[in-house]
Amino acid sequence: MSTPGNAMDSLSAALKCNIIPNQEYLLQGSVLDQYVEVLLHRLRGLCDNVDSGPETFHDHEICFSLRIPNSGATTSMPMSVFSLRVRRAIDVTDTPFQLRYIGQQELGDKNRPTVVRSSIDMACSSSIIEFLNELGCRIDFEYIARGYMFRKGRMKITVSKIFKMGSNKQESVEPISQSYIVELSVLAPSGQDSIGEDMRIFAEQLRPLVQLEKIDYKRLSNMM
Amino acid sequence: MGVTILSQFFLDNKTGPQTIEVLSKRIAALGAVQQGHFLVDCETYTSVPQLGHQRTVHVLHNSEQPATVFSLLDNGTKITSLATDGLFDLLMMKMSHFYTSKKQTKVESKGLRYEIGDFCVKLGTVTVSSNCKGILVEVEYRPCVVPAMCWDLMKEFLQGFLGTAAPTNPPAYLQNKMQDIYFPIDTIHQYLDHFTMLRKKLFIS
Repeated sequence: MSTPGNAMDSLSAALKCNIIPNQEYLLQGSVLDQYVEVLLHRLRGLCDNVDSGPETFHDHEICFSLRIPNSGATTSMPMSVFSLRVRRAIDVTDTPFQLRYIGQQELGDKNRPTVVRSSIDMACSSSIIEFLNELGCRIDFEYIARGYMFRKGRMKITVSKIFKMGSNKQESVEPISQSYIVELSVLAPSGQDSIGEDMRIFAEQLRPLVQLEKIDYKRLSNMM
Repeated sequence: MGVTILSQFFLDNKTGPQTIEVLSKRIAALGAVQQGHFLVDCETYTSVPQLGHQRTVHVLHNSEQPATVFSLLDNGTKITSLATDGLFDLLMMKMSHFYTSKKQTKVESKGLRYEIGDFCVKLGTVTVSSNCKGILVEVEYRPCVVPAMCWDLMKEFLQGFLGTAAPTNPPAYLQNKMQDIYFPIDTIHQYLDHFTMLRKKLFIS
């Protein structure tokens, strides 16, 4: 048996070979409650998991951020912000928590069919919430997402209803809108831009039930 | 996965490699079979001053759990532990604005791994930027997961090849957890305790 390699060395090697799925390709849209059944029906017909039906999920997501003021005039941003999301399943108790970092949306080519942003996704132990608090993170917002997940090849499609966090009783949660959010995403190593094209074609097949689009987050934050 | 006891070992007037040689001979004489190598490493990150009071994150890897990254966050009063997938290292790189590491702080313990019946023994040389800081002997008793139930047996086994240098009491970290179920993160805590002590040492005699 050979000497075990240093973990950091194998990570740099993996980065160099570009095998780490650290880019998320994403399209988003929404559908009104009264039409969601029609969309689910269409997805059942289009996606891979036809026999077993869609997988359901019921998750609690908390978004944390680390913030420090930027000193000096070297940058236009007054604060350095680093966001991390923790997601845990409410309906299944023995699964690990998920920790996720989502980076800034890549500007790149305007004609690119999807949003491309860096993403690091990992399973972690349940101590993550305490760990992030101790790390200096604060909670920005939290919500409950309940819905369905479909697969088509390497694409993931989720149809989720978002609820505000109520008091401790889970029954008292309140939906934030009369619609469902629909997301089409793929997590892949960087540079695999052909995925964007596959996603565009798939999104085309869901029209006019739902219009999946490339959302410009910068514009959204300016609107708020 | 069983209970693990980690202890420091040194011999007067002997260098690190000589001590390892003595120990390897003793363990081989007991009938242990060498089964590959092992490596435990630790990288330390400290928070930038703008983030308020100083916190330290120790990120450790153990070749026994190759797909896991262990992190111990020390805020000065308590330590919070976390186990994640391998990509946590990548996350720490992304966080370099908030938590920075100094090159000289990296510690590792590496060496040979032996199996002898129900025990697994690892003889590690601890190095900080290629300076030998000491020897750590890790003994794992694999059939049991509650420290209190196997401590006496392990103590006897340790005495068998460390002689009078063997620990007479359980490691400080385990003393309040003797009745609890032992987890891999407990081994990581013991490594960190020893690494912290050994980092402060200048050189092994």
